[in-house]
Amino acid sequence: MLKKYQEAYTTKNVQFVLTDLAGNILDSDQTFLPINKKGTIYDVHPFFYCFSSIATDLKTEVFFSCVHLNFDGKAYITDIKFIKKEEGVLIIISDYTQHYEEYQAIAQARNESIINGELIAIKNAELEEREKFKNSFIRNFSHELRNPLTSIISITKIISDTELTDQQQNMLSFLKESNANLKLLLDDIMSISMISSGRLVLRNNVFSLPQMVDLINFTYKARANESDLQFDIKTDKKIPEFVEGDRLRLFQIITNLIDNAFKYTNSGKVNLEIQFNQKRANKISLRFEVKDTGIGIPEDKIESIFESFSQLNQSSLKSKGTGLGLSIVKGLLHLMNSEIKVQSKPGKGSTFYFDIVLKQPIPNMTKPQVKMVAKKKETILKLRSDKKYKILLAEDDINVQTVLFKLLLDTKYFSIDVVSDGALVMEQLINNEYDLLLIDINLPNVTGDQVARLIRDFPFKNIKNIPIIGITAYAFEDNLKTLKSSGMNAILSKPFELEELIEILFKYLK
Amino acid sequence: MQVSKKIVVLGHFGVGKTSLIRRFVEDSFSDNYKVSIGVHITKKVVEISVGHEISLILWDLEGTDDLKTIRDAYLLGTHGVVFVFDVTRPSTFQGLNTDLEIVKSKMPSLPLLVVGNKADLVVKKDLEEVLSKNAIATDFLTSAKTGDAVNDMFLKLAKLLD
Ligand SMILES: Nc1nc2c(ncn2[C@@H]2O[C@H](COP(=O)(O)OP(=O)(O)OP(=O)(O)O)[C@@H](O)[C@H]2O)c(=O)[nH]1
Ligand SMILES: [Mg+2]
Repeated sequence: MLKKYQEAYTTKNVQFVLTDLAGNILDSDQTFLPINKKGTIYDVHPFFYCFSSIATDLKTEVFFSCVHLNFDGKAYITDIKFIKKEEGVLIIISDYTQHYEEYQAIAQARNESIINGELIAIKNAELEEREKFKNSFIRNFSHELRNPLTSIISITKIISDTELTDQQQNMLSFLKESNANLKLLLDDIMSISMISSGRLVLRNNVFSLPQMVDLINFTYKARANESDLQFDIKTDKKIPEFVEGDRLRLFQIITNLIDNAFKYTNSGKVNLEIQFNQKRANKISLRFEVKDTGIGIPEDKIESIFESFSQLNQSSLKSKGTGLGLSIVKGLLHLMNSEIKVQSKPGKGSTFYFDIVLKQPIPNMTKPQVKMVAKKKETILKLRSDKKYKILLAEDDINVQTVLFKLLLDTKYFSIDVVSDGALVMEQLINNEYDLLLIDINLPNVTGDQVARLIRDFPFKNIKNIPIIGITAYAFEDNLKTLKSSGMNAILSKPFELEELIEILFKYLK
Repeated sequence: MQVSKKIVVLGHFGVGKTSLIRRFVEDSFSDNYKVSIGVHITKKVVEISVGHEISLILWDLEGTDDLKTIRDAYLLGTHGVVFVFDVTRPSTFQGLNTDLEIVKSKMPSLPLLVVGNKADLVVKKDLEEVLSKNAIATDFLTSAKTGDAVNDMFLKLAKLLD
C-alpha cells in the first residue's frame, strides 16, 4: 500500500556537484544530469545564475524546492540545496518529477475551478445587469406607447360614431382590431417585465371560483362557436365555492392557456378541467388542466415555448396573440410557487396543467370581495338621467385632453372644464363646484397624487369629499398602491376605452 | 560574460505570467492554461541601447493569491519585479495595493512594474474606469495574446535595472 508513495517521495536521482566560491565546477557525480565538469555552474542552467548572490553570503545552506530544469530536451522538477563546505559549495539536486507532477495535477484542477467560478460569477453579474436594463427599457418604452395609443383608441371611437360609408366602417373595424391587439401586446409586455423585475405583487382576496368558471365558460363557448370547435369545462364536486387567492392572476393564467389552446387547435375540442387534489388544514390544492386536440408540440420545442416571443409555428398562426402568453403563465405560476407542466403528442394535441394551493376562507367571510364584470348596459342606462355632471379634467397632454373632452361632451351628460397644470386645480375647485375630478397623475408642477392629498386635507366638505379619479400610464402594482393611498377613489390606466371611463365615472358620481 | 539581472514575475494564478514570458522570449502564445508550480527560469538577452546588451534571468513563479506564502529563497538576489494582474478578473486586482505592500516589504526598494494583462479582452475605456475606481495605477496594459506592450514592458524594466 505504501509503495506508490514511497516511489513518489524517494528518488534514486540525487546528484552531487561541488564548486568553488566562484562557481567553477570541481566535481559532479553525473547521477542524472550530464554536467560539464570543466565549466562553471552558470553554464549548467539559467537557474544557477543565482549562485553568485547565494555564494557571497552563504552561512550554512539555502534550499530551493520545485525548480524546473531542462536538460537535453528532458524536463525535470527538482529540489536543490546549496551547502557551505570547505572547498566552496556543495550542490545537491534531487529529482522529484513524479511527485511534483501529481501536485501539478491537483493545482491544475483547483485553479481551473476557481477561475471558472469567478468567470461564471462575472458573466452572471453582467447578464443580470443587462436583464435589468432590458426590463426598465421595456417598461419605459411600453409606457411611452400608452399615451399615443390612448389617443388612437379614443379617436377611432369618435370617428366610428360619425357618418361613414360601408367601406370606411369596414376599414375602421380593422383599425379597432389592430388597436385592441396593440393594447393586448402592451399589457402582456408590461406583465412580463413586471414579473421578471419582481415588481408584480400577488394580491389575495376571497372570490367565487364557480363565478370565475362561469365567466370563462361564457367567453370561450362563444369563441368556440365562431371557430367550429367544442369547448367544455369539467369541475370536481369537491371544490368549494369560495377560495382565497389572486383571482386576477389565476384568471390570467387560465385564459392564457385556453387562448393558447385555441390558437393551435384547428379542429376538435378544447377542455378545461379543475380537479380537487387534497385539503390540508385550511389549504386546498387544485389542479387546472387545459387540454386540446391541436397540432401538438415536438419534444425538442417543449422547453422553448415558455420563452418570451417564441411562436411554435409561425405560419400556422391563425388568431391573434402576442406569443407572450405562455411565458406569462410560467412567470405567474412561479410567483405562486407552482409550475406549468405539459404533455404533448405532435398531431394529437397538448395538455397543459398545474397544481395550485389556495386558501379556503373561514365560512363567515365567504363574501366575494371582487365583483363580477360590471354590467355595462345598466350603467349606460343609468346615465340617461337628466342631471348634467360637472367634471374638472386636469390633463396636460393636449391629445388626451382633446379626446377626453370631446368624448365626455359627446355623451351629453357632462360639462367639463379643463386645466393643464396641477397647481391650478385647487383654484378651480375653490371657485367652482364640481361633481368629480379626473386628473392625470403626471402633471407638471404638482402631481396628481399631491393634489389628491391637498384636497383630502382641505377643511371644506364640498371640496374635501369630491370623487377623484386618477389617470396613469404607469400601471404598476406598487405605484397603484401609493396612488390609492393619496386619497384617490380609483385609478384608470392608459389606454382605456370610453365604456371603462364612463363606468368608473358613474360609479363615483352621485 | 554579460551583466545578468534577475527579474521575478509575480501575481495571482492564471493572470498570464507564463504567457508574458513566453511571448517575450519565444514570441509565441497558447490558449491552453497549464498551471505553473514552483519556478521556471529562462534567460533572454536584450539590447538596451546600440551595442549594449544585458541578459535577463526571468523567474516565472507559481501563482498565488496570498503573496505572503511565496518562498523567500525564490526572491534571493532579485534585481527587478513584475507584478501581473488579470484585467478581466477583479479578484486579481481588488487587493492590489495590499499585495504591492507585501511585495515591497519582501524586496525593499527594487524597480517594480505593475502590469494589467489580457488587455485584448476588454475595452480600454471601460478598463480605465474600473481601474481608477479601484485606485489602481498600472505601468503597462499588456496582451500576451496579441503581444501588445509586452516587449516594451520588459525593455523598460531592463533599462531601469541597467
Ligand atoms: N486573451 C488572453 N489570454 C491570455 C493572455 N495571457 C494569458 N492568457 C491565458 O490565460 C491563461 C493563463 O495564462 P498563464 O500564462 O498560464 O497564467 P499564469 O499567470 O502563468 O498562471 P499560473 O502559472 O497558474 O500562475 C491561459 O489560458 C492563457 O492562454 C492574454 O494576454 N490575453
Ligand atoms: Mg504560469
